[in-house]
Amino acid sequence: MLTAEQNDELTAVEPGTRMGEVLRRYWYPVAFAREMAEFPVKRVELLGEFFALWRSPSGRYGIIPEPCPHRKASMAYGVVEGDGLRCPYHGWKFDTEGACTDQPAEKDNTNFQSRVRATAGKVEELGGLVWAFLGPDPAPLLPRFDVYVMDGYRDIGWADIPCNYVQVMENAVDPHHVEHLHGRYFEFIGNHEGFTAPASFGKQHQRIGFDAFEWGIIKRRILSGASEDNDDWKVGHPLVFPYNMRVGGGGVHQMQIRVPVNRTTTRFMLYTVHAPEGYEAIEQPAIPDYEIPVFDERGQHVVNYVEGQDIMAWCTQGPITDRTTEHLGRSDIGVSMLRKMFKQQMAAVENGQDPLGTIREPHERIDLPCEKDKFHAGGAQFALDFCDMGSTRYSPMLDTIRKVHLSAAEQVGKDKAAGRPSFTPAGGIGDATLAAGTDAQVDSGPVG
Amino acid sequence: MSSPPDRRFAADAEAHRRDAPRFCPNCAEPVDLASEFWEGDDRRFYCWCAACGWTGEIAPTGDTAIGHEPPH
Repeated sequence: MLTAEQNDELTAVEPGTRMGEVLRRYWYPVAFAREMAEFPVKRVELLGEFFALWRSPSGRYGIIPEPCPHRKASMAYGVVEGDGLRCPYHGWKFDTEGACTDQPAEKDNTNFQSRVRATAGKVEELGGLVWAFLGPDPAPLLPRFDVYVMDGYRDIGWADIPCNYVQVMENAVDPHHVEHLHGRYFEFIGNHEGFTAPASFGKQHQRIGFDAFEWGIIKRRILSGASEDNDDWKVGHPLVFPYNMRVGGGGVHQMQIRVPVNRTTTRFMLYTVHAPEGYEAIEQPAIPDYEIPVFDERGQHVVNYVEGQDIMAWCTQGPITDRTTEHLGRSDIGVSMLRKMFKQQMAAVENGQDPLGTIREPHERIDLPCEKDKFHAGGAQFALDFCDMGSTRYSPMLDTIRKVHLSAAEQVGKDKAAGRPSFTPAGGIGDATLAAGTDAQVDSGPVG
Repeated sequence: MSSPPDRRFAADAEAHRRDAPRFCPNCAEPVDLASEFWEGDDRRFYCWCAACGWTGEIAPTGDTAIGHEPPH
């Protein structure tokens, strides 16, 4: 439970707000590389502001606020010329640094051009996504997280959902919801629709824990039938501050991305890399993206797949959930821990410091801790459940993805028979992040 | 812009506003975060102070504090 003022502060994304200033210190995916190749200009909404993003024929990207500094017509309808973007209304042109380079109807011998600079952001392409940084200089480096650079077969599911991103992030530090929302509720829906929900999702939690680390919060759980020796506890997986969660298991690696488009809209993306043991490389000239369903034709949430269930829970909390009348319990301690982390970063930015997870050192890749054997379900079983019961069922590449996992399993069998190791793409840190016998920073102790 | 307040729990929201710790028990500066959760009959506030970094739980007891007697 928070006061209305605290809730307002926590959920703000706009410039000039405490949280909005924190959020502007990070890079965000704002387009698929595929769509910018199809048409080189895009209107982008991010953190409650609108921008024009463009890609030049030479492959350079630029992003500036949508209104032309001249008379406010939309630069998102602009004309790409050279590396710059020309306003469709009177032809003013801006380069990727935001400098006005042409004012066709004005005299050349004035300094008018230099007085109307657009505020340009930084743009880079990585992993089939186009990323933008719209905060103050000097911009940090774009973090090259493992999923964006590792070998494997990729696809990207997405949906724009009508709720504030903080309630999505609070879900990332809420282990218990899995056994109910993706366990008991999934089973209930399956019984009515005639399918069998995955058994591993309904296992009861025995213990939960959280550890703050350099990229966010590592979440841990011990499910019934497991112990401290299982990956779910000793490795865990992280909330990557402030808007991601790294998950995986069974040769599947995924970043769940929750872009704060505005205060009540979140772009939910599932950036997935299929890279099982025994993986045989498949060429991908472009990374496919696909929209996942949020509502059915009756306007009801689609709840017969894992992410649809999450989306239902996030959205039915309201566009911005009323935290003045919530009732957290001890099991929600991860939520309070995350709120503290948000507050810590607000203070850091106000003090002129970089917030958590901004990186300024050049790097090849950043591997994140993530359990390999999720829910101790067995690798192949988790991968098949992932394909059939999650958003991947809507992927245009579903058949190929299933083949990736099945042929990898076959390859492992061949390799074992031949006494040779199987190729496994590197991705994620599967080693223990918590010493045996050690408590997490925030630890429930045994439950029940 | 927030969702409409849930009128069923207006008294809880008011109690939170009334009772949430305002000052850090370590340095007496204003507390930055007081996130309330409930445990049995207890109301607990998970607190963080930006000034000194103190983190802790504060639980109002009212007039009655419960002690204990070890087995003997």
